[in-house]
Amino acid sequence: MSKIVVLGAGISGHVAAAHLRRKLSKQHQIIVVSPNSNYQWIPSNIWVGVGRMKSESILFPLAPLYKRKNIGFIQAKAIEFHPEGDDNTDKPYVTCEYVAGANKGESEKVTYDYLINATGPKLNFEATEGLIPGKNKTYSVCTYTHANHAWKGLSELIQEMKNGKTARILIGTGHGQSTCQGAAFEYILNVEQELRKHKVRDKAEITWISNEYELGDFGMDGMMLSYGKGAMKSSEMVQMVFEERGIKWILGSAVQKVEEGLAHYETLEGEFKTEVFDFAMLIPSFSGHGFKSFDRNGIENTEKLFRGFMIVDADYTKKPYEEWSVQDWPETYQNPSYDNIFAPGIAFAPPHAISKPRVSKNGTPISPAPPRTGMPSGITAKLVADNIIDMIKHNNKKLNHKGSLGNMGAACIASAGFGMMDGSGVSITTFPIVPDYKKYPDTQGRKLGKTFGEIGLAGHWLKLALHYAFIYKAKMKPFWWLIPE
Amino acid sequence: MEAKITESQKRKMTNPVIQFFRFIYLSLKILFIVEGGHGGTRNRE
Ligand SMILES: Cc1cc2nc3c(=O)[nH]c(=O)nc-3n(C[C@H](O)[C@H](O)[C@H](O)COP(=O)(O)OP(=O)(O)OC[C@H]3O[C@@H](n4cnc5c(N)ncnc54)[C@H](O)[C@@H]3O)c2cc1C
Repeated sequence: MSKIVVLGAGISGHVAAAHLRRKLSKQHQIIVVSPNSNYQWIPSNIWVGVGRMKSESILFPLAPLYKRKNIGFIQAKAIEFHPEGDDNTDKPYVTCEYVAGANKGESEKVTYDYLINATGPKLNFEATEGLIPGKNKTYSVCTYTHANHAWKGLSELIQEMKNGKTARILIGTGHGQSTCQGAAFEYILNVEQELRKHKVRDKAEITWISNEYELGDFGMDGMMLSYGKGAMKSSEMVQMVFEERGIKWILGSAVQKVEEGLAHYETLEGEFKTEVFDFAMLIPSFSGHGFKSFDRNGIENTEKLFRGFMIVDADYTKKPYEEWSVQDWPETYQNPSYDNIFAPGIAFAPPHAISKPRVSKNGTPISPAPPRTGMPSGITAKLVADNIIDMIKHNNKKLNHKGSLGNMGAACIASAGFGMMDGSGVSITTFPIVPDYKKYPDTQGRKLGKTFGEIGLAGHWLKLALHYAFIYKAKMKPFWWLIPE
Repeated sequence: MEAKITESQKRKMTNPVIQFFRFIYLSLKILFIVEGGHGGTRNRE
């Protein structure tokens, strides 16, 4: 009998737990440890943030589902890793602290044979002074609670605008090294459409602020896309959309401090500027959770497991941008020191960024961190589950399931406005996610055709269809596994 | 950077009939790209 512990019940943790349960017999134990009692389909938070969806429709409680499916659930957060056990036990374990129920505040040693760390990112708001969701007129849409606050703030502003107020709206990244520009891009377009629906668009100046060097970088070094019968750069596509919607932009900027209605930022040119706003949604930087690890004797060995995020089979050698290659990116998400520990989704430490790193004239890094979106999070979680299954069933130490972000496609269906007939979406796919400049030297490292962009109502329907399909899948309803990650 | 959304493109982007067929096409294309396989990168050179 094997015991597999999954930390985190986001996209990657939940996908891993579901596949493990489906493919392993009942004699094997699967336990999910997560502080949130609910599963949430994060991509739809965009619509919660403009009041077009209730948070209840993007989440469901995990405990009843896991009970039905014979998956153990501990509502707790992991704190410490003990991959060699300790004086009292040979079994490796994770120390977890209960966050709800009668045991709240108490900690427990959760032992494992295999560990999947799928804890995603820490939303590192503290890295930007004054960037606090719901305070200083700034909001976030990174969780459903944040998105609810954002909609409350926005709807109040819309009311004021209906009474004649003119407003300045600022949306983008809230730190020099934030990632997830795609989410902010979706939100700015949805807010713009919402203002039009409420007939107050003329009362608002909407500005995109971002650490990207060019529009459409998305933390992926930009893309050359097939578009219609030709090709187009993602920077051109985003510029086209922003111009169409009357959205202004500020690029190459690191927001460093937020005060009530003021965003102070540094530019790549080394200038310090301030933007005034009545409503802002700024994505924070993402970081690891600050976990610590200890060896059998209780001596800290965090450097074996973490460099911010979890260390996996990537090549972490420091090298200049010109020498980066797809081979640097991990294939199996296995920790090199402990072969029973894996980290899919956002939890793994990337070898480096994807976008070209840049610093301001004052030496401040201003360029996006690498995004890891939902599809690769699901795909990497599934391949980790499949490798563990092979290890258990066939005692196979060789990992046959591989999936590098340099050899994997992803789709990003960005909502550009909600509405069955007047909605819109920007559908973008990339292959590979991490550009392979050697293989595709003439098309910015990506395969044209498989890397394409399209704008239109179909994109909205697609995003909505994915919302329902992925929630169906997450609820593990009949034949859920036929829906791909 | 002169790309602009023309009026005729805008009509296509909002026409439900055209968009219905785009929806089918995009769904299949995305399925093909995402399910088209993935793998390592290190042994292929
Ligand atoms: C607003 C927004 C919109 C997005 N839209 C899209 C989109 O349209 N398409 C797309 O592909 N991607 C999108 N993404 C990205 C996508 O949501 C992420 O790629 C995905 O959620 C990553 O999955 P994950 O499981 O690695 O991390 P997460 O989903 O963040 O899950 C992490 C899990 O770990 C748990 N956890 C945290 N700390 C601990 C701890 N100490 N112990 C145990 N558990 C812990 C958390 O509670 C959570 O359950 C969007 C992201 C945002 C913020």
